[in-house]
Amino acid sequence: MSLAVPAALLALWELCSRLAIISPRYFPPPTTVGWVLVDRVAAGDLGAQSLITLTRLAFAFALAALPGVILGLLMGVARPVRDAVEPYIAFIFPVPKIALLPFLLIILGVGEPAFVLTGATSAFFQIVISTLGGVQTMDPRLLEVGRNYGAHGPRLFWKVILPAALPAIFTGLRLGLGLALVALVAVEFIAAKSGLGHLVYRHWQMLSTPEMYAAFAIVGALGLVLTRGLQALQARVLTWQEDIGRV
Amino acid sequence: MRALGRWLAEHWIAVGSPIVLLVVWERASATGLLREAFFPRPSTIVAHLRQLAADGTLWRHTAATLARIGWAFALAAVLGVGIGLAMGLWRRLREGLDPVFAVIYPIPSVLFLPLVSFLVPPGEIALVVTTAVTSFFLIAFTTTHGVRQIDRLVVEAAVHYGARGWRLFATVLLPGALPFIFTGLRLGLGFALIVVVAVEIVSASRGLGALLWLSWQILKVEDMYATFFVIALLGAVLSYGLAALRARLLPWVQDVAGRP
Repeated sequence: MSLAVPAALLALWELCSRLAIISPRYFPPPTTVGWVLVDRVAAGDLGAQSLITLTRLAFAFALAALPGVILGLLMGVARPVRDAVEPYIAFIFPVPKIALLPFLLIILGVGEPAFVLTGATSAFFQIVISTLGGVQTMDPRLLEVGRNYGAHGPRLFWKVILPAALPAIFTGLRLGLGLALVALVAVEFIAAKSGLGHLVYRHWQMLSTPEMYAAFAIVGALGLVLTRGLQALQARVLTWQEDIGRV
Repeated sequence: MRALGRWLAEHWIAVGSPIVLLVVWERASATGLLREAFFPRPSTIVAHLRQLAADGTLWRHTAATLARIGWAFALAAVLGVGIGLAMGLWRRLREGLDPVFAVIYPIPSVLFLPLVSFLVPPGEIALVVTTAVTSFFLIAFTTTHGVRQIDRLVVEAAVHYGARGWRLFATVLLPGALPFIFTGLRLGLGFALIVVVAVEIVSASRGLGALLWLSWQILKVEDMYATFFVIALLGAVLSYGLAALRARLLPWVQDVAGRP
């Protein structure tokens, strides 16, 4: 990864801001943002807010992952289940999950469960769809070979179907985690009173732009670590399969 | 009629399951098993939906949302396909922009609203530009990938036969990358809907997101459900409608992401 262009862009920004070609009030120089970032991290509150967002993300992902994979697999192997559930999945999947927030807020009240569940639903549908896709697109010859060698029922599932669907499941989990982060930060921006999303919102409203960009940078770094890190992990763990869901 | 019968025999569960759910929901809310304050009866929701449609509220908000999606999508499509093609063709540009994109892309697009509102006049333009951000990256990514996966042999053969410049682009590169471009456009349109709703919740007084949020704030639960239904319908039309359009207009073009 070449870093020349990002460095040049930052330098240009710094220069323009210092010379007041762009308004330093709205676009403070990156070095100022950097110092504020260091300052806030040292003071502990940026770390604390990041931790809040990460905790929400962990809960949301935990709530979505196992049920999502199980439902996806069930839909893949049992036709009646697929028929019964697919209309809802197809109906809800293209909907922005943030639109579920008001419903969760009235049912659960304003608080953590509603925030976390909004993130969880975001991940859940992606995980179900990827998992189902993994089972549906597996090579039918694998199934036949497995059957011919006497694998039936649970054995066929554990030895043939699950390993074949594993790359797609992993892709679903990875995409789901990313979507959960997006939904959670949006929820924090809109409704919560804590977390990185709220931090950006609050500093926007107060026009304390260096702090706003600092929070922004943390969100970007978090997203980068999650997407790139998991991609690397996937390439490492599932070396025998290429990534189906990469776009 | 026979065909319909056969179709029903095959899909009776998929058709029956939502009907059963709606009937059970209706009964449960009517008998108080579900709290009607939170889960109003489907029939009540339909009545509210019709009323919202009759007094014009629904159309006004839907039109506002659709206009924003349209502008944002147009902006993202033109810039995304253009820059994506350029990045696919020129290695230096791609290597330069890749790290910038990698950092910006995973940032949730709502967060761009403050940034965008500093750059352009706040209001309608800021909403549209914010909505376009994520779609733009998605379209640029898939287009770049589309150009890069074209068989080098094909390109070389075309060059040997004298295709250069515009001709090379229009007859080899663009058709070769088309499936990816189309997939990128479809995904980008889906994302535009997601972002526009979030952005409208934050800072708009019109649009379906704004209507949803307002209905929550004044606890008009039935209107919330009605608005949600319209948003879901819009999502279904945008994602499945576009896939159907592709199948009809460009039947030879594959959708590389499979299902939406």
